[in-house]
Amino acid sequence: MGKLEKVLELIEAGKSIEEISREIGVPPSEVEGMIKILESMGYIQVIETGDSACEACPLKSICPGSCIKFKGKLYQLSFKVSRAHR
Amino acid sequence: MMKVVALAGNPNVGKTTIFNELTGMRQHVGNWPGVTVEKKEGILEYKGEKFLVVDLPGTYSLTAHSVDELVARDFLLKGSADVVVDVVDATALMRNLFLTMEIFEMGLKNTVIALNKIDLAEKRGIEIDARKMEAVLGVPVIPLNAKEGIGIKELKKKIYEVAHRKTRVEPIIPRYDPAIEREIEHISTVLKHTELAEKYSLRWLAIKLLMRDEEVIKLVLRYLGSEKLNEIMGHIGEVEERYKRAMDLMIASQKYEFVDSLMHRFMRYRFEQGETFSDQLDRILTHPVYGLLALFAVFYLMFKFIFAFGMPLQGMLDDAFSSFGQWLAPQIASETLRGLLVDGVIAGVGAVLSFFPLVFLLFLVMAFLEDVGYMARAAVVMERMMRKFGLPGKSLIPLVLAFGCNVPAVMGTRTLDEEKDRIVTMLINPLIPCSARLSVISFLAGAFFKENQALVAVSIYAVAILLALLMAWVFSRFLVGGETSPFIIELPEYLVPSWKTVIIHSWERSKEFVKKAGTIILAGSIAIWYLSNYPSVIGSGRSYAERIGMFFEPYVRLMGLDWKAAVSLLFGIIAKENVISTYGVLYGSREAIINAMVPLQAYVLGLVTTLYIPCIATIGAIKAEAGWKWAMFTVVYMIGLASVVGIITYHAALALGF
Ligand SMILES: Nc1nc2c(ncn2[C@@H]2O[C@H](COP(=O)(O)OP(=O)(O)OP(=O)(O)O)[C@@H](O)[C@H]2O)c(=O)[nH]1
Repeated sequence: MGKLEKVLELIEAGKSIEEISREIGVPPSEVEGMIKILESMGYIQVIETGDSACEACPLKSICPGSCIKFKGKLYQLSFKVSRAHR
Repeated sequence: MMKVVALAGNPNVGKTTIFNELTGMRQHVGNWPGVTVEKKEGILEYKGEKFLVVDLPGTYSLTAHSVDELVARDFLLKGSADVVVDVVDATALMRNLFLTMEIFEMGLKNTVIALNKIDLAEKRGIEIDARKMEAVLGVPVIPLNAKEGIGIKELKKKIYEVAHRKTRVEPIIPRYDPAIEREIEHISTVLKHTELAEKYSLRWLAIKLLMRDEEVIKLVLRYLGSEKLNEIMGHIGEVEERYKRAMDLMIASQKYEFVDSLMHRFMRYRFEQGETFSDQLDRILTHPVYGLLALFAVFYLMFKFIFAFGMPLQGMLDDAFSSFGQWLAPQIASETLRGLLVDGVIAGVGAVLSFFPLVFLLFLVMAFLEDVGYMARAAVVMERMMRKFGLPGKSLIPLVLAFGCNVPAVMGTRTLDEEKDRIVTMLINPLIPCSARLSVISFLAGAFFKENQALVAVSIYAVAILLALLMAWVFSRFLVGGETSPFIIELPEYLVPSWKTVIIHSWERSKEFVKKAGTIILAGSIAIWYLSNYPSVIGSGRSYAERIGMFFEPYVRLMGLDWKAAVSLLFGIIAKENVISTYGVLYGSREAIINAMVPLQAYVLGLVTTLYIPCIATIGAIKAEAGWKWAMFTVVYMIGLASVVGIITYHAALALGF
């Protein structure tokens, strides 16, 4: 099995980028590159972070300290993964 | 006709920079027909000849999964470009060359590689032999530092040569394992001598069909009809059956390995690529054990900082409000109005407003941690913990929001796909201390503890978070069943924070605190003032406040609290800051409050305030998202939880001699 497939499998197993990097022996930046490729193939997708929830909030105008966010992208597996496991 | 030069490549490799260098100011920006993807065109002049330069959307592959990919792929596939400049980032060759292989695979014989960011690669010890790379890949390779304009002249020259067929371009074609090669061969034979074969590379068509590329399937249907298509797809179905794996992933993975196998022939690391400092830091900060310790340390330091700088300011503001009240009192003739303004509004709202510096500092530190990139690392640690307790990683997003306010957090659960995850996350979300409860926790820690204020606050946060995890485990085990889905976080680079953004962000967030004090807290303070002065003043035993408080006192006494605490908690349901304003109204002065409780009682009150019934807005949000049943369930379980924790903490601490 190639590294690309292996990375997808490890993401499914709930591993972090750092753990994946050690497991397959490539630098974290390369793992990120593979994640980008998997994303563009539609196997994983970016998750929207909080913004939309805050925009829709009825308390927006009086909310103390609106929404806390963090930088960094979040990805989840897409439906395509379950299809790949046929 | 002008010859066309297309710029292709991954996002962020420097395409725009190169585009600008090539075309100067002669540019035109529009849209690709039918889609909202930006199309940039410009004119390059070289040796008196004009070329039309087209900037293609940046993509990581050409799978036609997104509009960007489709636009770039169609353009290349139609042969619209006389020269394709594939911009490659020298610091991330693997992922960049993956796209290069996709381009080569199309059968184009007019590609030039612009090997950009060589200055950065040099700095990182990546040594690339451009001549060898050229020999291995079979296409011209021009090293560039586009930012400084280095190599642009050579690139222009090469574009000219390729456009006029003065340079031989024989791109290397990725090879797959024999089994897949056999299938490619088989499908190619079926497609041979058809109309399609004249337009596109047979090999490319075969590979894309094996990958079940929808666009190519449509193409075959259009040109060759459904009979031929069914024949091919039937065969592919058999192949898939044999492998029991998705072919597109397998092919992509082998292509990646193919690139990997080429790399060492033209690239090496000048020095041992030890982990970068950032990687090392990540390893500690996202480690299951050290990461958690680091998280606690950061939390502790955060509160240390907030208390050290916020408390003196809070004291000053508090004094200012009481002096203002003292100054105002004699100016008002009407006794009722005086009472309302001084003992109600100023005592109540002032008490809450005096915590503005702490809330501001909390958001300042949060914005700072966010900006340097620590938050994402903390998220990795939290996510791992959460998964252990049966929560999906994705609940992290609403739960992080909850530290600011529980209401958007409840609404944020919409992003969770599984009903089970949504409900569980919603149920535990009010246990996360929001910024309103931060004021109450700081108020109690600051007023009743001379030392270790930060530790007191952190311990209450820790208890609340642990209980949230524990309840998540209980709920997902016994209440709602279902699967959880994994998720991965890409860490941002560590950056020196921009103080301007940090301050603007924290100000934006904390100014809402003032607005809330001027509305909900104001109304609450007036109500409390009324209840504690009618029908008779407090102390008479006949005021409404006393009567309500006395009713609950037997219960709260189990946790060592009195009737005033009961009234505060009751008002806290409207908004948690009301716990502070109620104390302000009922006691009148800070000294009176300090004398009213011992530290243990204050600690228990802090815990109970954090854990008991969510504020009305949160209850409303849960009702709107999940219905009355779950809203009521949240109220009931949280009262139960707060009571148990309150009673146990109080009696355990007494037994231990506190
Ligand atoms: N050090 C260095 N930085 C470069 C070089 N070329 C471009 N950059 C920087 O890389 C970043 C991205 O450059 P862009 O030209 O915007 O890249 P792009 O490919 O058009 O990016 P997208 O528009 O996202 O597709 C910018 O910050 C550039 O200043 C280079 O040769 N060396």
